[in-house]
Amino acid sequence: MSEAIKNMQSSSVEMEFAARAKQVLSTEPILSARDVEVEFTLRGQKLKAIRRCSLDLYDGETLAIVGESGSGKSVFTKTFVGMLDKNGKVTGGNIIYDGKDLAKFTTESQWRTIRGKKIAMVTQDPMTSLNPLKKIGIQIKEAIELNQPLRGKAAKAEAIKLLELVGIADAARRYNQYPHEFSGGMRQRVVIAIAVACNPQILICDEPTTALDVTIQAQILELIRKLQKEKHMTIIYITHDLGVVANVADRVAVMYAGQIIEIGMANEIFFNPRHPYTWALLSAMPQLGVKGEKLPAIDGTPPNLFNEVHGDSFAPRNKKALNVDFLEEPPMFDVTPTHQAKTWMLDVRAPEVQQTIDVDKLSRKMNEPQPSVGEIVHPHQEPDREALVEVKDLQVTFGSGKKKFVAVDDVNFTIYKGETFSLVGESGSGKTTIGRALVRINPITNGEVLYRGQPITGKISKERDVEVIRKCQMIFQDPMASLNERAKVDYIVSEGLYNHHLYENEKDRQDKVKRALEEVGLLPEFSSRFPHEFSGGQRQRIGIARSLIMQPEFIVADEPISALDVSIRAQVLNLLNDLKKERGLTYLFIAHDLSVVRFISDRIAVIHKGRIVELAEAEELFRHPLHPYTKALLSAVPNPNPYLEREKKLLVYEPSMHDYSEDKPIWCEIIPEHFVYGNQAELAQYEQEIKA
Amino acid sequence: MPKNKETALDVRYANSNIEVQTELPANTAASQGPNPYGADESKNAVKLDIDYSVVDTDTEKKYGRGIVHVKNRFRMPEKQLFQFAEYHAQEAERTGYSNYSYWKSVWANFLKKKVAVIMAIVFFALLIFTFIAPLFSKYDAATVRVDGQDLSRMFTSPNSEFWFGTDSLGCDYWCQVWSATRTSIILSVSVSLGQIAVGVIIGLLWGYVRKLDHFFTELYNFIDNIPTIIYMTLIALMIGQSTLIMAVAMIAFYWLGTARNIRNLVFMYRDREYNLASRCLGTGLWRILTKNIFPYLISVIVLRLALSIPGIIAYETTLSYLGLLDITTPSLGILLRDARSNFLAYPYLLIFPAAIVSLITVTFYLVGNAFSDACDPRNHV
Repeated sequence: MSEAIKNMQSSSVEMEFAARAKQVLSTEPILSARDVEVEFTLRGQKLKAIRRCSLDLYDGETLAIVGESGSGKSVFTKTFVGMLDKNGKVTGGNIIYDGKDLAKFTTESQWRTIRGKKIAMVTQDPMTSLNPLKKIGIQIKEAIELNQPLRGKAAKAEAIKLLELVGIADAARRYNQYPHEFSGGMRQRVVIAIAVACNPQILICDEPTTALDVTIQAQILELIRKLQKEKHMTIIYITHDLGVVANVADRVAVMYAGQIIEIGMANEIFFNPRHPYTWALLSAMPQLGVKGEKLPAIDGTPPNLFNEVHGDSFAPRNKKALNVDFLEEPPMFDVTPTHQAKTWMLDVRAPEVQQTIDVDKLSRKMNEPQPSVGEIVHPHQEPDREALVEVKDLQVTFGSGKKKFVAVDDVNFTIYKGETFSLVGESGSGKTTIGRALVRINPITNGEVLYRGQPITGKISKERDVEVIRKCQMIFQDPMASLNERAKVDYIVSEGLYNHHLYENEKDRQDKVKRALEEVGLLPEFSSRFPHEFSGGQRQRIGIARSLIMQPEFIVADEPISALDVSIRAQVLNLLNDLKKERGLTYLFIAHDLSVVRFISDRIAVIHKGRIVELAEAEELFRHPLHPYTKALLSAVPNPNPYLEREKKLLVYEPSMHDYSEDKPIWCEIIPEHFVYGNQAELAQYEQEIKA
Repeated sequence: MPKNKETALDVRYANSNIEVQTELPANTAASQGPNPYGADESKNAVKLDIDYSVVDTDTEKKYGRGIVHVKNRFRMPEKQLFQFAEYHAQEAERTGYSNYSYWKSVWANFLKKKVAVIMAIVFFALLIFTFIAPLFSKYDAATVRVDGQDLSRMFTSPNSEFWFGTDSLGCDYWCQVWSATRTSIILSVSVSLGQIAVGVIIGLLWGYVRKLDHFFTELYNFIDNIPTIIYMTLIALMIGQSTLIMAVAMIAFYWLGTARNIRNLVFMYRDREYNLASRCLGTGLWRILTKNIFPYLISVIVLRLALSIPGIIAYETTLSYLGLLDITTPSLGILLRDARSNFLAYPYLLIFPAAIVSLITVTFYLVGNAFSDACDPRNHV
């Protein structure tokens, strides 16, 4: 029966798409950009950020622009509001809106008639778009007074109404608070309130949820959809996350190297992509990974736009590029009247290529237990399992006295040799603190950490210290920040060798560096370059090479892919998986997104506010999530299937739902190898859930 | 179907633009996609617009996968144009790199600042001139020209014999000015280098080692709260007035400001992830300071060094004004002090040293700014 309901629900989304498509075909666009070109001058060199990009925007729709960083998606939309950086300039094309050509605008006063009033913008980081010294309410009121004929008390009342509209409870009191008193999600709500304060026709959302946690992101997406309906706005949604696209978008434009290479209805893009880049992007999504299999990754990095691009810009990375791709830029081909793609693959003379993945099938699988569960034996299930790292009653606090903050409290877990143990939680949950405590960057306050049965915290001998340094390494989150910009790759990779004299002579050291670079898929000649010449993915691999050269057994991977572009994440995940197989490595994998770690993890621990609330084998956790927080996290996971994503029910976790005043909670193994944190009453309830 | 579908696109057709007009047959890939909205089957009419005559060996290099493949591709029939090209994973990896060397970029960027380069050349010319100037002069700086009754040589305006005139003692001002310039430059450069060296080393430790922070902050407060001039006076009175002693004393107090400045900057970099990574690899303190933090501060240090040189010349002027310097060795400060009492009557006494001090100050300001900009890798492309 549930299947029937699902089909019915899907078809309602499908009808929505069909209606939208009809509108696209039959009505005039409200904004129409034609052959827009944008050039930046960077210290004498010209960078063509946008290369003849065209886009039509129709009334009331949500258009998502997807692309990697540097693809020009932000820059392109900034030309609609005249917010290009000072060194950037529209050098060609026109942008027709409301009978005017925005590309010809030169003065601020011209822009002021459009920006904010007609076209408003929500940016990525809510902290930087709010003034920290002004009350929230005043900032909204200013926006209202600037763009609406309301003043004083009336404007204040309107501001409070807006705060309520964007879902801020107790709006009248919140009106008088400062930005620092708001959480990240609430700040983004305020930014949205300011943006919609003057009822703009078009709202440009530039990665509005990238800096937010998954659960908050889902709420913000819901809010944007609600506002769109109430205020009848047209939304341009810029993102690199295809799961988010599936949630919000009616139409999707895919950008690469300053051009829109494919555009179509969301269902067309997801289920019938035509451009090799879109295929690659969709198939490289970690959410859709199958355990034990490699993700189909895209090699390499996007082209450097300082150089002139010949032919199809994606050709050098395309495993199935045609000869013509290197010579001539493809035109836009029509796939359907609403779906265009810029690839020679659509030319009549091109060979037929079978699409490699089926997003629909895979994404439906996401919500079901994976069939391969029985075949894989996880290290912790083996009878002679060997505990590599044990964490006992770990507590980490920062500050002292009144400012004392308990970041991690009462954490217990064991990592067995050869497994990938994932630690999943939102920002501020203490997951990174635990990781850093294990490699001893953060001192611990209480408890102990054992490595191969012996403590590595507190006072230990010098030899033991060096041994643990060599055996336990860490991979960092942000490849931009984790490499020393002023040192050559050669030095960065061999830093560990220098520290412990792990080489016989200079030649031996160079050989080791070369081998390490090759192992992570980089060219040995890269060793004489500086980090800033590399893309995020390459830099992350340099970071991995740096830890590998120490021949470690245990690696703490602190969100190694969250700062990377979608097309590059798969490279890094595959590499980590391969290394695990080849070298028998053990990982502590820290992440904020359950779906990403599912296919690489043996076990997953969910952490909330410094406490692990649930720990189980990965598939078991997806099959029987017990703790309400785990359930909320699972419900918020973006699914790259517009049909499923738009119908999903969001669960919200309220820590106040637990009543721990009398019945104290304990850390309990509810069924073998499935741990959960709860009091007796809750545990009884969880047990029932498992049985059912 | 147009007939050139089968035609080989050979070099023989080189100069003609080839147009291929094709209508999409029902069974091609593009028309298999869903078309639920009842619109017409799309027509794909594509113009293949490659001018093969343009491609010669020079431009070949620019194409995707290097010369070899491109060469082959030009002689390929149309059929082959639409066949899969070879895939080279390494080429994909290579996309978008450049050659880069830090110091080369610094130098290239510095040379772009024309004014600074000219000022630097002028300054070096001046410096060299201070050493060779005595060869041109007819007199010795130390020689007093007033002997007994002959007062006529006092305050001689610049003329062909005394190029810069003479001072209150009838000494040749030309040789005095150059000798003073030399002394001042040597003094200020060595004091600057000294205080920067001490200040940077202490600042790095102060900023990076948390345990030392308290000690150095208190030391800084203790020394900094009393005006330096008092220390200087005490040192001059108790130890002596030689130039060397004053130089050492200036280093001993000037490093404080530098160290404080460096310490604050180290705070910015101390807990960056790359430093955590180094700690994770067991990198020692000295290596972290020299390899991870010091290179990031080069541009600030260069600027501080350049700005402290005119600062020290000015300070030296103050000290000589107070009579704390050894007045037997002429320095620009001493010349300025002496000129002060007579400059209304004999302005040339003030003009020459003042012009040189201004030149040095402006030079170091401009060159220092330009060089520190050039040292900042954010300004490298």
